[in-house]
Amino acid sequence: MRRGFLSLLKKDFKLMLSSKFLLLALGSLILYSCYINFIYVGIEQDIYPVFLYDPLHTQGAVSSEITEVESLEELKKESEDGYAVGIDASSGTPEIIMVSSSIHSTDRYRAAYALSLLSTANPTTAEVIGTDNKEMKSRREITCEFLFFELAAVGFLGLASMLFKEKQMGIIRVHGVLPVSKSAFILSKLCLFLLSDLVFSALLTVINLGVSEGLAVLPYVLLQAGILSLLMALVGFFCAVLLPNFKQFSLLYLVLAVFITTPVFLAGQTGIAWEWIKYHPVYHLFMAMKNAYWGVSFANGIYYTICGLTIVLLFLLVRRVLIREMAKEG
Amino acid sequence: MITVENLTFSYQKQKQTLHGLTFSVADGEIFGFLGPNGSGKSTTQKILTGILRGYGGSTCLFGEPLENQQKNFQEKIGVLFEFPYLYTNLSAIDNLNYFASFYPSERRRDVNELLTMLEFKKDFINKPVSSYSKGMRQRVSMARALLNSPELLFLDEPTSGLDPQGAVLFRNIIEEERKKGTTVFLTTHNMTDADLLCDRVAFIADGEIKAIDTPKKLKEKNSNHQVEIETLYQGKRRLTIIETPELKAGIPFPYDEIISIHSKEPTLEDMFIQYTGRGLA
Repeated sequence: MRRGFLSLLKKDFKLMLSSKFLLLALGSLILYSCYINFIYVGIEQDIYPVFLYDPLHTQGAVSSEITEVESLEELKKESEDGYAVGIDASSGTPEIIMVSSSIHSTDRYRAAYALSLLSTANPTTAEVIGTDNKEMKSRREITCEFLFFELAAVGFLGLASMLFKEKQMGIIRVHGVLPVSKSAFILSKLCLFLLSDLVFSALLTVINLGVSEGLAVLPYVLLQAGILSLLMALVGFFCAVLLPNFKQFSLLYLVLAVFITTPVFLAGQTGIAWEWIKYHPVYHLFMAMKNAYWGVSFANGIYYTICGLTIVLLFLLVRRVLIREMAKEG
Repeated sequence: MITVENLTFSYQKQKQTLHGLTFSVADGEIFGFLGPNGSGKSTTQKILTGILRGYGGSTCLFGEPLENQQKNFQEKIGVLFEFPYLYTNLSAIDNLNYFASFYPSERRRDVNELLTMLEFKKDFINKPVSSYSKGMRQRVSMARALLNSPELLFLDEPTSGLDPQGAVLFRNIIEEERKKGTTVFLTTHNMTDADLLCDRVAFIADGEIKAIDTPKKLKEKNSNHQVEIETLYQGKRRLTIIETPELKAGIPFPYDEIISIHSKEPTLEDMFIQYTGRGLA
């Protein structure tokens, strides 16, 4: 068993190298890290720019974050973009002018925020708890998103493309008559992709969060990365064996990306709240990853039990379709 | 070596592929399994090699029911598939070393020796399989099937893709393997291979065995015992068919010169058509 497994591992590693998967992973690591360090953490954007038209100067001490305009037309023009908020104080009473964001709660926040800037009195100073600053918060959020995307999408495609190559060569069928177990054939691929995903996760985390912050959250991150990597690799394996060609697989991948990952990102990273999202399995995986990046152990027994059972179930399914593939006509 | 009784199999519930096959293959025998596409040849081979489960009837190999075979069953068999399935990014040597690594060292044959025996071009030995011709790939595949010194060898169209010289080489190698005591289960369309190599052949069509015997006996049983004689008489060519016993007293008609004498014995292909009602295409 051990002899066969090592041979499979060696062969899969050669295939991985020839498919340039490792090069692609390295490219992603460099690209993500450059984006985070040189672009994302430097983005400074006012959440809601506020403009004031007050020809009679009825508003006394306004915040320095308010921009005063000369005419009502100018105020309307500045407030056209769906983010900015205009305050018309020409009648003496401040009135809000803005383009609705279509989300009622967001519009209320925008209006309240704009009105709060009309006075400099009683400024609210938030108490900072812990060591996180704005930059570190941004780093944690974006690194989590990139890692989730990389594991969910790229790892999934990587294993599938390797398997399609073996399918095309007809070589999977040969393994049906070799003295090696079908489970070893699956496990060698899983181990290799798991290892590469874990190395990728560790590097991405340490590079972008810094050594001390990165190492502090690494055990939690690696645990979640391992779970996600195994799940996605097994799903990729299952689809690649079941579907006849890579074209159909790519279509399925698009469906997965658009209809499964997108709502999870929206629900996890924005204020959009859907009641049904809690029934979305990928949402829980994303939230667990997010918690991991804040060094919070996702100590939920049910979550780990469901993940474990899903991995076992997927493994058995993959084994079944693999045996079927081996028995197919030439 | 192989005993199959009333073997049945269905890919779908409605469509039965094998309808109760019964045959046996003795130790050291070369047994030919002949049939047209879709007749059930490959399905039978897949069942015998342990790839396909869910069959009916009983199948014994090495004196043990197939379902009770231990893990070392696959160490004792060699399989040559119809198509040369190899890792195209690896060289012949890398492919063979990879496949050899699954077998215990006492069973492994020397990879270089095998390739030399199969007259593999030495310049290509370390080049990737993607640069090989079909014949070269078939040679590597044959080497793979022989890697573990199999006691039972399954060959599916072994001479496909080979030039006539290569086909003769393969037939000699198969004959050599048999001399060492290997049993060969040969699945083929190629009547020359079957006629020259097989001790016995089975004709299979529509999932049923239509006839099973030695190629010679199959032909004899159905021979019309006639001889075709082409002669030259008074400047004219003449083709005459006579009954073989008539030859006892010499050629029973006048002639100046004999051009050729041929037996009108049927070929194995004629026999196949006669038993199955269809050709091998």
